[in-house]
Amino acid sequence: MLELDPTTLLVLVPALPLAGALLTVLLGRRLGSGAHWPAVVSIAAAAVAAVTLLVGLAGDVSEKASRVQPAPPVEMITTLWQWATVADAYAPAAGSPAAAGEDLAARSAGLPAALPFSIGIDLRLDPLTATMLAVITCVGLLVAIYSIGYMHDDPGYPRFFALVAAFVFSMAMLVAASNFLLVYVFWEAVGACSYLLIGFWFQRPTAAAAAKKAFLVNRVGDFGLAVAVFLLWMTYGTLNFHDTTLADGSLMPGILGAERLGAAAGIVGGTVGTAICLLLLLAACGKSAQLPLHVWLPDAMEGPTPASALIHAATMVTAGVYLVARCAPLYVACPAALTTVSIVGATTALVAALIGTVQNDLKRVLAYSTISQLGYMFASLGTGTLLGFTAAIFHLVTHAFFKALLFLGAGSVMHSMGGVIDMRRFGGLRRIMPITAATFLIGSLALAGVAPFAGFFSKDEILAALHSRGWTHHAAEHHDAEVHEGHAGGELPSVPEARPAIYRTESGPLIQFASAGDGEPEAETSAGTFRLLYWMSLFTAALTAFYTFRAVFMTFTGPTRVPEEAGHHAHESPRVMTIPLVILAVAATVSGWLLFSTEALSRFLAATPSLAAPAVAATATPHAFHLDLAIQGTLAAAVGILIAAIGYLGRSSDGPQPERFLGPLEGLFANRFYLDELYTALIVRPLEFFGLLAAGFDRYVIDGLVNLVACVPLAIGAVVRRLQSGLLQRYAVAGVMGTLLVVLALAWQLRG
Amino acid sequence: MTSLQTFALLSPEIVLVAAALVAFLGGAFAGIRHGWLVALIGILAALSLVGGQPGDGATVTSGGIRIDAFSTFVRWAVLGTGALLALVQSGDIFASAVSRGPGLHRGGTCEEAGTFLVMLAGLSLVGVAGDLVLLFIGLELVSIPTYVLLALKRTDARGQEAALKYFFLSLIASAVFLYGAATLYGIAGTTSLQGIATAIQSPAPVSSGMATVLLPVALGMTVVGAAFRLAAVPMHFYAPDVYEGTSPGNAAVLSTLPKLAGVVMLGRLLALGISAESETAGVGPAAVAHLDLFWQLTAVLAAVTMTVGNVMALWQNNLRRLLACSSIAHAGYLLVGIAVAAAAAATQAGQPLGDVAASDGRWTLALGGMTATLFYLATYMLPTAGIFGAIAYLGHRWPEWTATSGPRPPREEITSVGDLDGLASTNPVAAFAIALFVLSLAGIPPLPGFWGKLTLTVSALEVDWTSPVALGSRRTWFLSLAVILVLNAAIAAAYYLRIIAAMYFKSTKRGVQADGGLAGGLAMLACVALVILITIQPRSLLAAATRAGKTLTSPVPLATADLDTIPRP
Repeated sequence: MLELDPTTLLVLVPALPLAGALLTVLLGRRLGSGAHWPAVVSIAAAAVAAVTLLVGLAGDVSEKASRVQPAPPVEMITTLWQWATVADAYAPAAGSPAAAGEDLAARSAGLPAALPFSIGIDLRLDPLTATMLAVITCVGLLVAIYSIGYMHDDPGYPRFFALVAAFVFSMAMLVAASNFLLVYVFWEAVGACSYLLIGFWFQRPTAAAAAKKAFLVNRVGDFGLAVAVFLLWMTYGTLNFHDTTLADGSLMPGILGAERLGAAAGIVGGTVGTAICLLLLLAACGKSAQLPLHVWLPDAMEGPTPASALIHAATMVTAGVYLVARCAPLYVACPAALTTVSIVGATTALVAALIGTVQNDLKRVLAYSTISQLGYMFASLGTGTLLGFTAAIFHLVTHAFFKALLFLGAGSVMHSMGGVIDMRRFGGLRRIMPITAATFLIGSLALAGVAPFAGFFSKDEILAALHSRGWTHHAAEHHDAEVHEGHAGGELPSVPEARPAIYRTESGPLIQFASAGDGEPEAETSAGTFRLLYWMSLFTAALTAFYTFRAVFMTFTGPTRVPEEAGHHAHESPRVMTIPLVILAVAATVSGWLLFSTEALSRFLAATPSLAAPAVAATATPHAFHLDLAIQGTLAAAVGILIAAIGYLGRSSDGPQPERFLGPLEGLFANRFYLDELYTALIVRPLEFFGLLAAGFDRYVIDGLVNLVACVPLAIGAVVRRLQSGLLQRYAVAGVMGTLLVVLALAWQLRG
Repeated sequence: MTSLQTFALLSPEIVLVAAALVAFLGGAFAGIRHGWLVALIGILAALSLVGGQPGDGATVTSGGIRIDAFSTFVRWAVLGTGALLALVQSGDIFASAVSRGPGLHRGGTCEEAGTFLVMLAGLSLVGVAGDLVLLFIGLELVSIPTYVLLALKRTDARGQEAALKYFFLSLIASAVFLYGAATLYGIAGTTSLQGIATAIQSPAPVSSGMATVLLPVALGMTVVGAAFRLAAVPMHFYAPDVYEGTSPGNAAVLSTLPKLAGVVMLGRLLALGISAESETAGVGPAAVAHLDLFWQLTAVLAAVTMTVGNVMALWQNNLRRLLACSSIAHAGYLLVGIAVAAAAAATQAGQPLGDVAASDGRWTLALGGMTATLFYLATYMLPTAGIFGAIAYLGHRWPEWTATSGPRPPREEITSVGDLDGLASTNPVAAFAIALFVLSLAGIPPLPGFWGKLTLTVSALEVDWTSPVALGSRRTWFLSLAVILVLNAAIAAAYYLRIIAAMYFKSTKRGVQADGGLAGGLAMLACVALVILITIQPRSLLAAATRAGKTLTSPVPLATADLDTIPRP
C-alpha cells in the first residue's frame, strides 16, 4: 500500500468524487447499467481516505491530550493554488476592527499598510472537518450503493450517479474549505446539486416546482451568506479562516486563526458582529431548513429517496450547523445572536414536530422530523457552551446515521409499494419486508431517543446543554455531584489545586456574556429564556417519539395491505438495498453509546481551533451522564410512544384517523401552520405583481429604446457594406487613398 | 558573436526551412504522402529549440537578429498557433482527397505543408528581426507562401479570385511599407532598428526638416503596411472576399498569423521612440513627436477599424465572411493596446531626466498597453483557429433531399450561419466547442476573450488616470476609446450569439457530415483545452505577455517577481 501523507488524503477526499462525477458524465451512456461504478468506487475511495484521516487525526489528538487537559488545537492547511490575488485591496483604517484589540494589534504590528485580497484554494483539516468528511463520505457511500438497487431501470441512471458524486465533492469542499469565499462557492454548489436532484424527475411538474421552491428559498439564505462575507471582509480585511504569511513575511491573522483567537479582543462583537452572526444564521436557516425558511424541505421529498436521504436528511442540511459551529468564536462574542440561534432552533423543532404528527406521507413525516432534529442542533449551538457545540455535532453525526437509515427504509417501502408513500394505503408490511421493518424500527428508536440507541445520547447532551444554561448555579452543583457519582472510578484528580482551569465552571459561561456592569439581569433573562427552551425541547422529544412511532405502527403493523400499484411483486428489497440498511442500523445502534461513553467525539472536537478558542473553551464542563435529564427525556419518549401505540398500534391505517381528537388544531398542523399560504400572500403575490409591471415596462419601454439604438449599427453597417464591392481596383484605390489620408493627417498634426 | 552562434540563435527557423525542404523534395521524389506529419514534426522540433534559447529577461543581439522576451513570445505564439493550424490544414486536405465531387479542390499535400512551413519560418524571422531589411524579408517570406497557399486551390474559381485579390493588395501593402521603411533609412542612414532609434531620439530640434517632412511619411506608410497584416482600416477590404473564397484552413491561417506579424511590426516601430539606454532616459523632440503621432494614429485607426468590422459583420450570413469581419474588428481591439503603449511612452519621453521615482509608476502604465495587446492576441488566435478547425472538421452537410425528389444531390460545403442550424443535436461536441470559441471572442466572462478585453480596457483607462477629464485631453481620448471598445463588444455579441442561436435553438433536417477529417477535430479539441486552461489560469499567459511587453517598451530589465499580482488601477 502506498504511504499517503495527510495532505494527499485531504486532497483526495474531494478530488476522487469529482473525478467520479466527471467520468460518469463522460462515459455514462457507454456504461449503461454499469454507470454507477465510477461514482461508487470513487466515493468508496474517498470514504477510505476520510476515515484514514479521521483515525490518524484522532490518534494525534488523543496522544497530545491528557485525561484532564484537552489537546491543543490542531489544524492543517493545504493551499492548492492561489485563485485570485489583488494587491493592496484593503487598507485598514486606524482603529478598524481588522486590527482591533491591542493584543492583536501588537502582534500584527508588522502588517503592511494595505492588505491584499488573496483567495486561495485552501483546504483545511481539523477535528470538525475530519468528522464531517467521514460522515459525508460514509453516508454518501452507503446511499450510492443503495441507489444501485433503487434507481435501476431509471432512464436518468448515469445522471443520478454523476449528481451524487458531484454533491459529495461539493459537500466535502464545503467543510474542508478554509476561507469564506470558498465556503460560499461550495455552499452554492451543494445548493445546485440539491436543486438538480430534487428536480431529478423534471417531467413531473411537482418535482420541478419543488426544485424551484428549494432554490428560491435557499437564495434568501445565500443572500445572507453573501452579505455576511462582505461584512467579514470589511471588518477583518481577510476571508481566510487560518493565519497566512504575506509576501513580505508578516503574518496576517485569519478570522478564525490562532492569532486572532488567542488575542484578547480579536473577534468583533457589537452591532457589526451581531449583524454578521445573524446573517450567517439566515444562511444557515436557508440551508438547514429552519424557521422561517424551512418551507422548501418537505417539498424536496419529490426527489429520489436516496437523494433525500443523502442531501435532505444526512449531509447538506447540516451545512448550517457546521457553519455556526465553525464560526463559534464569532457567535460567542455576540450573546444576542447566540440566543437567537437557540430560539430559532427550539421553535423550529417544536413547530416541525407538531406538523409531523399529522402527516400521512411517510417521507414527509421524516422530512418534518429532519427539520425538527436540525432545530435541536441549533438550539444546542445557541447555548454557546462547548458542550452545546459538541452536542450539536454529536447529534449531527448520530442523526446522519439514523435519519439516512429511516429515509432509505422509507425508500425501500416506496420501492416495493410501486411508488406509493401514503401511509393510509398500506399496512402490516413487517410480514412482507422483515429486514426493512426491523431496521426501520431501530432507526425509529434512535430518533425517538430511546436508550441505548444513538439518538438517546446525543439528545441527552443537547438537553443537558440547554439545561445548564437555564439553571446555571444548579447545573454547576449538579455537575459536580454527577461527576463524583458517575465517574467514581477515581478519574478525577483528588487534589483540588490540580484541577485545571477549564474545570472551574462555578462561574459558568454567563459571566462571559455578562461582561459589563448590567450583566446580571441580562443573564437572568437569558436563563429564563433557556428554561423555556428546555421545556419546549422536552415536549418536542415527546412529540418526536409520537410521530415516529405513529409512522412505524401505520406502516408495519396491523393487517397486511398493499396498494394496487405494487402489483403482485410486493417483496423485500434486493440485497444491494438492504445491506446499507443493516450497516446503518448497526451504526444507529452503537454509535451513540460508543461516542458518548468514550468521550471520543467531544474531546476530539474540542481540539478544533474554533472550539478551542479561549472564549469557547472556557465554557467547558466535565463530561457527565445526566441521570435526571435522561429520566426526563426517556419519560417524554415513553409518553410519546405510548400515545402512538394507543392510537395506532394494530389498527388498520386506512380507518378514521385518531388525530381527529385534535379538533381545529389538526387543520392547523396539517396545513403547516398556513405558513406556505402566508408566504404566498405576503411575498410571492406582491413580487409577481411587481414582476408583471417590470416585464411590461421592459417589453414596451426599454425594448423599444434598445431596438431603436440597435438600428444605428445596422444602418452604419448597411452603408459600409456598400464599399465592399468585390472589385479589386476599388479596394486598391481605397487602400492607397487611405494611406495618403493617413500621411497627410500626420503631417498636418505635426505642423499644428 | 561568431556566425556559428548566430546560426544557433536562428536554429528554429533553420529547422522549419529544413522541414519544408523535406516536405517539398520528399513529396516530389521519395513519394512521401504525409506532408503534414513532416510539418508537425518540424514545428515541434522548432518549438523545442525555442525552449532552449535565452528568452527570459536576457537580450541577445547578433547582426540583424534580436532575441529577447518579446521575440520569444512571438516565436512561441507562431509555432504554437502553427501546430494548431497545421492540424486544421491537414484536416482540410484529407477531406478533399476523400470527396472527389465537383467544385471540391484537390490537395497538394506536401507542397502545402512545405509552403506553410516556410511561412512560419518567415513569421518567426519577423519576430527576431532587429533590422529593417530582415524584417522586410521575413514579411515577404510570409506573403509569398501565402499567395502559393491560396493559389494551390486552383480548381475553384472563387479560390483563384481570392488568391489574385490577396496577391495584388498584398503587393500594394508591401510596397507602401517598403516606401516607409526606405524613408526611415533616409532619416537615419542605417537599416538597423537600433540605429534608427538612436537617430530619431537624437536631441536635434524638430525644425531640422527631417521630422516635419519625413517622419509623417515614414510613420504613416509603415503603419499602413502593418495595417494590411492586421486587416485594419484602411487596408481591410481584402479580408471578407479572400476568407470567403478560400478553404477554412487557409482562412484560419490568414486570420491569425499575419495579425501576429502586424503586431510585431507596430511594436518594433513604436519602440523606435523609446530610449533603449536607461542611463540616458531622455529623448529628443523628434522621438516625442514620433510617439505622439503614433498614438494618435493608432487610436483613430483602432476606433474606426473595430466599428467598421463589427457593423459589417452584422449583415453577414456567410460564416467565413462573418469571421473575416470579426477579424477586422479584433484588429481594432489590438490597436487599442498599441495606442496605449505609445501614449504612455510619450508621457515618459516628456519626463525630466533622471526622475526615477516619478518614472517608475509611469513605466508600468506604458507596459500595460503592449502587454494587453499581446495577451489579447493570444486569446484571439486560439478561438479563431479553433472555429476554423471546427468548420474544417465539420466539412460538409447533406443538402435538402427526399427520396422522391430524384437522385441525391452532392454534399455542400458549410458556408453560411444557417448551415450550422441544429448542430447541438447532430454534433454536440463540435457545437459546444464552437459555442465556447464564439463566446470567448465575444468577451463573455470568464473566458479568455473576456480577460483580454478587460486588460485592454483597463490599460486604456489607465492612461493619465490622475489628470481630470477635459475636452480634447489625452485622457478623454482614451476614455472614449475604452467606451467605443465596450460598445463594439456589445455590438459584436449580436452576431456571435446568432451563431449560438443557430446551433442551439434551431432545428434542421440536413445533418452535418463531419467528413473533414479528424485532424481538424483534434485542433478544435486542443483549442478547447487551451481556452479552458486560460479561463482557469489566465495568469501564466498574462505573465508571459507582461514579460514580452516590458522587454519591448522598457529600457530597464524589470524584475519578474511582481508579475504574480495583477496591478490595480
